[in-house]
Amino acid sequence: MRRLTKTAAVAGVVALVLAGAACSKKSDDSASTETGGENCVEKTDDMKVGMAFDVGGEGDQSFNDSAAKGMKQAACEFGFDFQTAEAQDGEAESAREGRLQELVDAGYNPVVAVGFAYSASVGKVAAENPDVSFAIVDDAVEGDNITNLLFAEEQGSFLVGAAAALKSETGNVGFVGGVETELIQKFEAGFIAGAKAVKSDIKVQTRYLTQPPDFSGFGDPAKGKTAAEGMFDAGADIVYHAAGGSGGGVFEAAKAADGWAIGVDSDQALTADDSVKDIILTSMVKNIDVAVHEFLKSVHDGAVKTGAQVYDLESNGVGYSTTGDHLKDVADQLEDYKKQIVDGTIEVPTKP
Amino acid sequence: MTVPTDLTTSPKPRDGRRRVTPAKVMLVLFGLVVLLATLRVLTGADDLASSGTLRATLVAAVPIGLAGLAGLWSERAGIVNIGLEGMMILGTFGAGYFGYFYGPWQGVLGAILFGALGGLIHALATVTFGVDHIVSGVAINIIAAGAVQYLAALSFTGVKGGGQTQSPPIDSLPAISIDALSDPLGDLEAKNWFIISDAAALLRALVTNLSVLTIIALLLFVLTWYVLWRTSFGLRLRSVGESPASAESLGVDVIRYKFVAVLISGGIAGLAGGFLALVASSTFREGQTGGRGYIGLAAMIFGNWRPGGLLAGAGLFGYTDTLRLRGGGESIHGLLLLVAVLLVGLAVWQWRKAARTAAIVSAVLGVLVALWFLLSDSIPEDLTGMTPYVTTLLVLALASQRLRPPAAAGQTYRKGSAG
Repeated sequence: MRRLTKTAAVAGVVALVLAGAACSKKSDDSASTETGGENCVEKTDDMKVGMAFDVGGEGDQSFNDSAAKGMKQAACEFGFDFQTAEAQDGEAESAREGRLQELVDAGYNPVVAVGFAYSASVGKVAAENPDVSFAIVDDAVEGDNITNLLFAEEQGSFLVGAAAALKSETGNVGFVGGVETELIQKFEAGFIAGAKAVKSDIKVQTRYLTQPPDFSGFGDPAKGKTAAEGMFDAGADIVYHAAGGSGGGVFEAAKAADGWAIGVDSDQALTADDSVKDIILTSMVKNIDVAVHEFLKSVHDGAVKTGAQVYDLESNGVGYSTTGDHLKDVADQLEDYKKQIVDGTIEVPTKP
Repeated sequence: MTVPTDLTTSPKPRDGRRRVTPAKVMLVLFGLVVLLATLRVLTGADDLASSGTLRATLVAAVPIGLAGLAGLWSERAGIVNIGLEGMMILGTFGAGYFGYFYGPWQGVLGAILFGALGGLIHALATVTFGVDHIVSGVAINIIAAGAVQYLAALSFTGVKGGGQTQSPPIDSLPAISIDALSDPLGDLEAKNWFIISDAAALLRALVTNLSVLTIIALLLFVLTWYVLWRTSFGLRLRSVGESPASAESLGVDVIRYKFVAVLISGGIAGLAGGFLALVASSTFREGQTGGRGYIGLAAMIFGNWRPGGLLAGAGLFGYTDTLRLRGGGESIHGLLLLVAVLLVGLAVWQWRKAARTAAIVSAVLGVLVALWFLLSDSIPEDLTGMTPYVTTLLVLALASQRLRPPAAAGQTYRKGSAG
């Protein structure tokens, strides 16, 4: 027994040392990725911004990162301090409330909550702290001190749906949603509408990885891969994903099947690994950074707009990316659709 | 893969051991192909038995099966391991970290090492300090999730293609593809001939892009069976889980056997997590285990604490989940017919066993499912997600009378209790 304990202790120490090696490794890479730096204003403002991330957190190369980018830009421009807080998968409602309240208690005002997971907690904490300004990304919560940063995802999805239909050779495209929530259904509805606008008889396969309240569908690349493989096997040649971290699996499947994938939230051809970026046709870009930046500017200027602020194609809140120039040949048609959506000729549905 | 086998081969607990011969395995495989072929032809849902589905099933079943195998090692030694999920989480990170920075094989070792670390904690808590097994397991699940979140943020922040919550893509482990067989089998599969095409699909799934780690995982099942049931080490380990006092009175070092079993359990669970990060996808991603550790535990119970049954349970899970993800409502709809037939068959069997009430319940359920199949074309997406769980619940409910866990599982044993 004693020898066993010793062995165990040694194993534990080895593991800790290895984990320690992990710590030392990263420091040289991380500094370069911090935004701003060049022409930042001195930190003069006494405004302190708190940002609570959704599951995935900073570094998700998706909407959390986009929100962080907007905040860092604003911090650089107006010179204020900021603090971020991470969420955990499967955490309780009280954990989110606690996180927001902690930011408030530490003097952060305004507080930006990223993601619809915060809808209930923002409502509650905002009501208890009427002097603090809150913003929530992706959900409409009522409150005198709450700004809702909403996006017309269906409009952006319409355009990538049209792009998919124009580029598809098999007349068969797919949509992989992470979790079947109302929000993700907006992506689906827009994508289908866009594809059908180009080609009314196009086949659109749709699949959700999990059903709420199981939110693991946003972080399970293996499931994303299986679902996308099924679509490619069934004849699709382009698959659009709105599945957060599961999207990596969709890219893998697209690569293996010699097909295309369409990214979501940010321009994923820029952030994805070199091995898969060539198969990313385009990405439905949701400029959360624009919205966050605008909100912080309004707080800074003392002119906060509360209530729903919808960022759509017109205000450049959503759009599609052109990295890789894969859409060159259909760019005119896409711009045409964009114009029609902006002037109201085409009304994009929000429900499939 | 071996979906319905458990209904016919679930081992009888006491009356001697059934020999698993190659002929029997072939027979079961053949029965499976016939079943799938019949189902495919009757329902017209071609994806039910396509090579793509079968390959994806294998990939989906391995992590669940390995998690169950990990649970088997631990429970056979009398330690309930609800911390499998946490050990898998540790394994995904081990695979992600060592896989990305050093190479895929190092990733495999890293996964095992990190999983074993979780096992070590569980062993220290439950075996050495006598902590309640459930409490320790739940604690490990929580600690592992938090620790991995922290470590991942340290390791992958700022790495291109990675971030706080995910690693960049990891190089693949070697995979075996025999093109000379795969292509002609593909042609054969495309013909849609009854049975022949389905057999071709099954073979094709096995000779196309089969990861080495999948093969290793399957070998682990054989190895586990051999070690636990064919060596004196295994006999002692199992005796520790059945009756530690008697084992100790016969000179077995109970504490050491339990400790080793839980360590091995952790290592295998870590490998299950590593498989997710290295083969099922090729990145570490926070939360990617998605509850598979718990499903593995269910598969182990389903398999009556035996490797073969456990593999069947994992296969059943993997298959239904794959069908849902690939084909959605249409494929699952085809499965309804199978469930109906099985239920009616069960009713007949129960009736003959004079279990009248149970037989009537099964028959009514069977008829209802059959009606559902006939009156609909597809199953709503909200319900398809439940398929793996409903299937397991059904099977467990029907087979639970025959289950027999290790007698001393979950009990804390203190050295010298034999008196």
